[in-house]
Amino acid sequence: MSTNGDAMGSAVAVLGVALLLSLGLLAFLTLRLREVQRRFLDKETEYQKVQDHLQENDARLRAIIESEPECVKLQAADGTVLEVNPAGQRMMGADRPQDIIGRPIYDIVAPEYLETYRQNMARVFSGETLIYAFRSITLKGKVAWLETHAVPMRDARGTIYALLGITRDITEHRQAEEQARRHHTELTHVARLSTMGEMATGIAHELNQPLSAIANFARGCLRRLRADHVDPAELIKPLEEVCEQAVRASEILSHVRDFVRKSELQLKAADINHIVHSVVKFTELEARHHGATVTLHLAPRLPKVQADAIMLEQVLCNMVRNAFEAMAEAHSPQREVYISTRALEGDAVEVEVVDTGPGIDGAVIDQVFDQFFTTKAEGVGMGLSISRSIIEMHGGRVRAESGKDGGTTFRFTVPTSEARSSHA
Amino acid sequence: MREQTVFVVDDNEVVARSLRWLVETVQLRVETYASAQAFLDGYDAAKPGCLVLDVRMPGMSGLDLQERLAAQRIHIPIIFVTGHGDVQMAVRAVKSGAFDFIEKPFNDQDLLERIHKAIRFDAVQRDQDLQHQQLRALFANLTGREREVLDQVVLGKSNKAIANCFGLSAKTIEVHRAKVMEKMQADSVADLVKMSMQLQMQA
Repeated sequence: MSTNGDAMGSAVAVLGVALLLSLGLLAFLTLRLREVQRRFLDKETEYQKVQDHLQENDARLRAIIESEPECVKLQAADGTVLEVNPAGQRMMGADRPQDIIGRPIYDIVAPEYLETYRQNMARVFSGETLIYAFRSITLKGKVAWLETHAVPMRDARGTIYALLGITRDITEHRQAEEQARRHHTELTHVARLSTMGEMATGIAHELNQPLSAIANFARGCLRRLRADHVDPAELIKPLEEVCEQAVRASEILSHVRDFVRKSELQLKAADINHIVHSVVKFTELEARHHGATVTLHLAPRLPKVQADAIMLEQVLCNMVRNAFEAMAEAHSPQREVYISTRALEGDAVEVEVVDTGPGIDGAVIDQVFDQFFTTKAEGVGMGLSISRSIIEMHGGRVRAESGKDGGTTFRFTVPTSEARSSHA
Repeated sequence: MREQTVFVVDDNEVVARSLRWLVETVQLRVETYASAQAFLDGYDAAKPGCLVLDVRMPGMSGLDLQERLAAQRIHIPIIFVTGHGDVQMAVRAVKSGAFDFIEKPFNDQDLLERIHKAIRFDAVQRDQDLQHQQLRALFANLTGREREVLDQVVLGKSNKAIANCFGLSAKTIEVHRAKVMEKMQADSVADLVKMSMQLQMQA
């Protein structure tokens, strides 16, 4: 009995447990279901919210674009204007949107920029982001300089379907720049005249005196000798004068070097890369003027050099300008200047200036640092001569090389601060 | 003919000395001056010749001196000597009446030829000046009536017409005419006409 009762009891217990478990599972499932339902609802609200948000954003963007003072437009690959904001319509001289929308953008591009504009369009449609400037003749015939920041617009699959262009009128800016450039050229011109030029004219004038005297005395002697009625003793005095004046002439020449030597150097620890950067900045406008680009290959973490930064800037400026002028004078199709810096063994830093100009004739390359040597139509031949003096005063060296296929390389070294202090 | 002098003005004493040595080979007298002022102080305008003048000089420049001479009506021919790059200055000088300019460094033959030309020019100029002076002196000797008669004669009028004009007899006019011819040292009426024109040109 007790066994039976026991068995019954066990069965009930098992059933009870099973029931409990089932109930528990049901409750759990119900809860899960509710949870999922809630989440789903949440998602939907969220989705709605996002949707609203997107619409809001779109409206806001449109409002912004509409009121944007710069021209914002979409262009198709063939140049058709798809959309343009009111500012853009005004910029392009369209009275009504349909005057420009649906029309080719080329209608407002000046003829000389058409080709470049087409190329830029193609680049953007191949995925590039560009900034380009061009001259525009608006639908009303007004001339304006425009600068466009163009980015490719992609659809969900990543296909580029339009060019988004933000364009601003840079006419005034251009004019200001042009004026600044003129001002700058005048300044550099004046600066050159008052230093190099003044010096060169001064030297030329100084040198002319003894040379004229030598020529006159010598010719006077010759004429008397040829006329054959001369007492040789008469010729002694003028010939002595010739000798004196020859000495005087060479004294004047040595003054030129003294002049550079006398200008005291202000030696301090200087960052050569910093010097390169400032020279690039000084010569930026000149580079643009000559259609040249400057590329830098500067070694990082170079030791400091012991130098007069302003003097080194002059040397580098001179080399960079020479490069621009040589390339422009030779009408080189490719006008590039590479400036690189590197550390040398033995405590020195080397600076290299390479151009893509015509190079220098091998026969005269050794003379480029000589006084009064010049290949320029209006040069006086002082720049590199002074440059060499400056480099040598720093304890450095300078060399020029010309490549077989043209291109000139100038290389100079400047000792580092450590080198200086350890030698001192 | 009086001896010709080449006046050399150059602030560089050695250059001036060398020019003297060179110019003396063609048997010309040379006077050198170290500045424009020294030349103005020492120059005797009666001496014929020419001036070899350095453009660039401290103090009074060559161009300044040219102006001063022009203001004093001294017409000595000037050859400017210019350095490299002073050509514009030289052009200015020639425009304001310089005889010539020569750029340093110059050829001796070239300089000497220019000097000779300038000297010849000076001689011709002085000769003309002299003639004009003489003419003026002769003219100054005429009486008022004689000048009036001269004016009519050169207009080609006959004695009779002139007599009618002044209310005098033809005989009287003929006496005046003879006097005018004599005083002006003229051989013919044509001569008188020429002199009269020269006098008018100077006036």
